[in-house]
Amino acid sequence: MKERMAIPNLGNYTVALASMVKGMGAEPWWSTYTNDHAMALGIAAAPESVCLPFKAHLGHFIAADDAGVENALMVNSIGACRLNYYRGLLEDTLKDMNRNIRVFGLGFDGFKPPVFRYLDPPIIPLLRAVFLGLEKVKTIDTIEVETARTRAREENTGESSLLMEQCLRELSEINNKKEVQLFHKDVPGRFARIAVNKSREPLRVGLVGEVSLLRDRQLNQNLEQVLGHRGVEIRNFFLLGGEIGNNFGISMGYKQQTAKQLAVVARPYLESEVGGHARDSIAHTINCARAGFDAMVHVCPTGCMPEVSIRPILRKVSGDMNIPVLELSFDEHTCALGMVTRVEAFLDILWARRGRGMKTYSAGRSF
Amino acid sequence: MRRGYLGIDVGSISTNAVLFDDSRNVLFTYYVRVSGNPIDSVKRCIKELDSVMQDKNIEIAAVCTTGSGRQLVGALLGADVIKNEISAHARAAIDLHPDVRTIIEIGGQDSKIIIIEDKTVVDFAMNLVCAAGTGSFLDSQARRLDISIEELSRRSITAPHPTSIAGRCTVFAESDMINKQQTGHAQEDILMGLCHSLARNFIGNVARGKPIHAPVLLQGGVSANMGMLRAFEDILGYKVIVPPFNMVMGAYGAALLAMEADVAESRFRGINIWQHNVYTRGIACEDCPNNCEIIEIIDTGELVGRTGGRCGKW
Repeated sequence: MKERMAIPNLGNYTVALASMVKGMGAEPWWSTYTNDHAMALGIAAAPESVCLPFKAHLGHFIAADDAGVENALMVNSIGACRLNYYRGLLEDTLKDMNRNIRVFGLGFDGFKPPVFRYLDPPIIPLLRAVFLGLEKVKTIDTIEVETARTRAREENTGESSLLMEQCLRELSEINNKKEVQLFHKDVPGRFARIAVNKSREPLRVGLVGEVSLLRDRQLNQNLEQVLGHRGVEIRNFFLLGGEIGNNFGISMGYKQQTAKQLAVVARPYLESEVGGHARDSIAHTINCARAGFDAMVHVCPTGCMPEVSIRPILRKVSGDMNIPVLELSFDEHTCALGMVTRVEAFLDILWARRGRGMKTYSAGRSF
Repeated sequence: MRRGYLGIDVGSISTNAVLFDDSRNVLFTYYVRVSGNPIDSVKRCIKELDSVMQDKNIEIAAVCTTGSGRQLVGALLGADVIKNEISAHARAAIDLHPDVRTIIEIGGQDSKIIIIEDKTVVDFAMNLVCAAGTGSFLDSQARRLDISIEELSRRSITAPHPTSIAGRCTVFAESDMINKQQTGHAQEDILMGLCHSLARNFIGNVARGKPIHAPVLLQGGVSANMGMLRAFEDILGYKVIVPPFNMVMGAYGAALLAMEADVAESRFRGINIWQHNVYTRGIACEDCPNNCEIIEIIDTGELVGRTGGRCGKW
């Protein structure tokens, strides 16, 4: 029997990661979001002041260990990011808890990443799986962008989200790059069939901040949907395809400026790297202001050093370039209603800025 | 038959209602403590409203709910508009004081600052997870000292030499108050010191460097506390205005929003609702590992709404 491997939740992109892991010869154990059970395990095991994504990853891996999963894979990013350090921290924490699960990083030490040394997958199928995964990443980029676009305009609330889930389910079943490409071509057409109100001009809001919070809908209290269902077209600035393209300098899926280009944009406000995607957040805010976005939403875990440290800068950018920025912090104590109240009040400001008066929401919608 | 516009603000501590007629006359205001039961408090409001309406020959043309219980009560009443309390408070303040620049709103659990330019909200902030400096802390301190909240308000402003109380956190504030009481400070001085520390806490942790320009309005339940008013005036160095209807501002704004919503036919479920047997029932959805607790609102056997789902299924 193949060994199983738990992979961290990276929102919808977990679908693509799962298919790569399959190619390594392991059975992926995954979910697109951290569920309440895993979250509770993580909160109980982690120190109180550590950030929310760490608790989520830890809880996810503990739940995996409970389920008898032998291995876990932690994504390390190449940039100056805490994820590099968190892999070791997770490994030690799990070891201290006498958990048997092995944590691998994707990072390189020498020629082969340790996970490849351990599983030792044959090279041709592995490469095939990597390319298949990358193709899926591109497809998910498209699904993300299409969902954001139709969700803000749909006639029947919730239809885009359902189609998104449907597409992801189908995509996770496909095991062949050609078929993924065909599927990818089909995606915009499928979203185009959703009934939309063409006269509606949604607010355009950019989402920036910490990656796990941008991607795991459990951690961000379903922020994308909360905004989308209130007539906001979001542009989430963590599209994995674009991000991979960024770091490796290759063209992948959704086109996005490279890290270098973003650094140039952010330079008037911040000259150095401060970790995570903090500098990118500033650059995206500046770009969005120039592109005529209505506002930005900056999400970060409570106490996240890189993202918190740029908040005063974002306020400066917001004032200089006349773009409102809503700052949202999340931890396990964050109450969903408080977030919704802030978002609704913020949107009222934005609609008023557009000179359409205050927008109101009809009763009876569950939240 | 005159048309009436009803605004209801269901907060953590109190439920307020305001009723307007067509020409913006306030026909009815009501303030009742929630005491942990929002549905019951709303029923009491509606019961009171019922008797007023019978006298004045009014029919409800639109309803707007606001406050943290807005969804629950909105579903129960059949509200035409459900609005966040920040916009509702701002709407009321702009109506009563068109030149307002800053609103300080302190309720039972929330405190907010709202910045207004040219009759539109341009910025706001709300307290985060910490409830230090809100009404419920003043309540609990009054309870600890075995005085009523009205007495706390009355006595704090008579303080000749307010002492300094640590205000960053209610736990520290309380220990510091006890420390001061054991070292022999007069109770008035401690109470006023508490108000000062809460006001400072608000300026430091909620307003967080946002510009505070006069005219400043103080509203929400805590605005009835004269000690807090004096504390804000001491810190800001100018007069802070407590508007009329300060205790029911959220409902006042909601009633205005109901009036402005241009509702053709109200979905209001009837004034007799206070006689109905309304209850809620929790069910656990087991379709995914989240196990959301779905709350169903039942009115005399009929399901009128659900809250609590996270995926949109409910």
